[in-house]
Amino acid sequence: MPEISTEQIDLSRHLIKNGPKFRSHTIVFKETKAYLKPTMSALLFCLIYVAVGLFLLGLAAFVYFGSRQVDLVIFLSIAGAAITTFGVMLLQPFMKYSAFDKITDEFSNNADRPLKLPNIMSLQITNKMVTSKHGISYPCYELNLLTKYGRRMNVLNHNDLVQMEFDAEMLSEFLEVGLLNFKKEIIL
Amino acid sequence: MGIFNGKLLLIVLALFSSSCAWAEEATGFAATLSSFSAGVDAFFNDYFGWFVNAVFFSVPMGDTKFPLIVGWLFIAALIFTLYFGFIQFRKFKLSIDIVRGKYTDPNSKEDGEVSHFQALTTALSGTVGLGNIAGVGVALAIGGPGATFWMIIVGLLGMASKFTECTLGVKYRTILPSGAVSGGPMYYLRDAMAEQGKPGLGKFLAIGFAIMCILGAIGGGNMFQANQAHAMLNYAFGIPLEYGIITGVVLAALVFSVIVGGMPSIASVTEKVVPWMAGLYIGMAVIVILSNLSMVGPAFSAIIDGAFTGAGVAGGFIGALIQGLKRATFSNEAGVGSAAIAHSAVKTKEPVTEGLVSLLEPFIDTVVICTMTALVITIAGLNVAPFDGAGLTGVTLTAASFEATAGFFKYLLAVAVIMFAFSTMISWSYYGLKAWTYLFGESGVAEMIFKLLFCLFVIVGATIKFGAVIDFSDAAIFAMSIFNIIGLYFLMPIVKAELKSFTDRIKSGEIKSYK
Repeated sequence: MPEISTEQIDLSRHLIKNGPKFRSHTIVFKETKAYLKPTMSALLFCLIYVAVGLFLLGLAAFVYFGSRQVDLVIFLSIAGAAITTFGVMLLQPFMKYSAFDKITDEFSNNADRPLKLPNIMSLQITNKMVTSKHGISYPCYELNLLTKYGRRMNVLNHNDLVQMEFDAEMLSEFLEVGLLNFKKEIIL
Repeated sequence: MGIFNGKLLLIVLALFSSSCAWAEEATGFAATLSSFSAGVDAFFNDYFGWFVNAVFFSVPMGDTKFPLIVGWLFIAALIFTLYFGFIQFRKFKLSIDIVRGKYTDPNSKEDGEVSHFQALTTALSGTVGLGNIAGVGVALAIGGPGATFWMIIVGLLGMASKFTECTLGVKYRTILPSGAVSGGPMYYLRDAMAEQGKPGLGKFLAIGFAIMCILGAIGGGNMFQANQAHAMLNYAFGIPLEYGIITGVVLAALVFSVIVGGMPSIASVTEKVVPWMAGLYIGMAVIVILSNLSMVGPAFSAIIDGAFTGAGVAGGFIGALIQGLKRATFSNEAGVGSAAIAHSAVKTKEPVTEGLVSLLEPFIDTVVICTMTALVITIAGLNVAPFDGAGLTGVTLTAASFEATAGFFKYLLAVAVIMFAFSTMISWSYYGLKAWTYLFGESGVAEMIFKLLFCLFVIVGATIKFGAVIDFSDAAIFAMSIFNIIGLYFLMPIVKAELKSFTDRIKSGEIKSYK
């Protein structure tokens, strides 16, 4: 793959549209490995959906055996299955193992193809405003990396800037690459 | 027990609750909840009865009483309409052109920018809700078919109110230290009134609005929604009203995950689903109307006749007028100030464009969709005189009317109502939080207190029965308009100047037309 001029790439542009309004992950550093660890609060909030979904499925089962009211059983089953599935989907990113491994010399996030660590050019912190209907808005931050082939990958995406800056500095030292600040003023 | 096997249900509840009370017998459970419901109702009656009476202070008019707050909103909408020279009619095409993107450079769209069309569709999906379904049901049950006519009038006049407040909402929005955008009446009442040399009055109005907004968020934006969601489940599936606590706990858990956990995913899923629900609702109404086409003419006749005769309505045509005005305001929120909070985060350099786009909302929400609901109810013929609300009312009247054409519509309506209720609760939690942080600051503790209170009231709202709490919900929403509209009277020249500047620049060609 040919190298491209990284000046041509807008590094301030965020890679993910949305993001959580809490700290979703921190980076844990070992001697030869740095890996993403989901925070307990993030996991608990995802588990709410699983719990609510399973509750509705349980209720559907009890209604079925108790009264065999089919329409209510179908309604509760569909609602329960949808909410449980949604909760499991939310949990998936937290279950994926993302790590920078100096022994294998790779960054793997179990979603994209593995990346050779020497190909990482720099890390960047960018900011964005997550907006929603009815005016809900809050700032969110991304820690992204850039390869010498111009590929950009997201490492972290959450709302806690202090933690992200700390993790980014540590990761930059770990990978021995530069950390660039691409936060900008967002004018609506 | 009918639907539920009581003992089995109690086992489920016991599994999911640490409270030993659930282990009691089913009758005890129902009695406890009924007692709780009555207690909450009595509490609101005792402690907020004066507030409800004050907001709905009425003067004798004919053989009924006319609430001054209803006249307050109606006259304000009329004044804004006259002051802006019937802007809702004169600039209707301009609003459509802005939505079409006629004045938006197709090459200048910034990353993440929301187009006016997207803004309108998302805002519309927010305004199409229980106001269109349950609100119209209440209006017609108490005001007869004639209430529809007055709803339409209020919808048309309310377009000018919404234009005024939404323009100011964008113009005086604030970027908070966190980077988040905050806007709405609290900010324009404080800042714009200070610019006008009335900082004291501005602060007073802003604080008054913020207090009412918090109460409105907990009442109409929360308890009413949860209450009607369970009422719909009761109608569609026969779930006993006393099991509203289950609906409440489920809804509260989901609301908790969004507003306390800040989970964007469920909110974005809701945003994607709710427009489809709105489409589904409109589709069902169209099917009912088309399949009863021969009855549309008589239905309109009943609406027009009822508007001026008020036959069968307590208070005659004044009674129909009051119900039409109240429910239309509850549905389109024009003059209430909540829309100004919602629209303040839009990406635009021209505040007046957002005002012009927002004036389409009362038209579509009230003039089009509420009228469709009213036609469905009138065509079904289940709402008969005397219109005293003793029979079917609210969401159950609307649902029964849809069911008269196709039985399975009640299931689709149940899904739509729950989605609308959930979406509205999320929106109002945001409005309430903005008002709360305006009063108590942006500290994490202050925010958390409001969020937990909000979730608690979801459960309360689903558990209690119609009564004082619903009166309180109404009063709090209407009380917001008292402070908002006083400010709008002082600030409407600013909006007029913005409008003139914008239209002048269109005429001069400074603002280019791209389509």
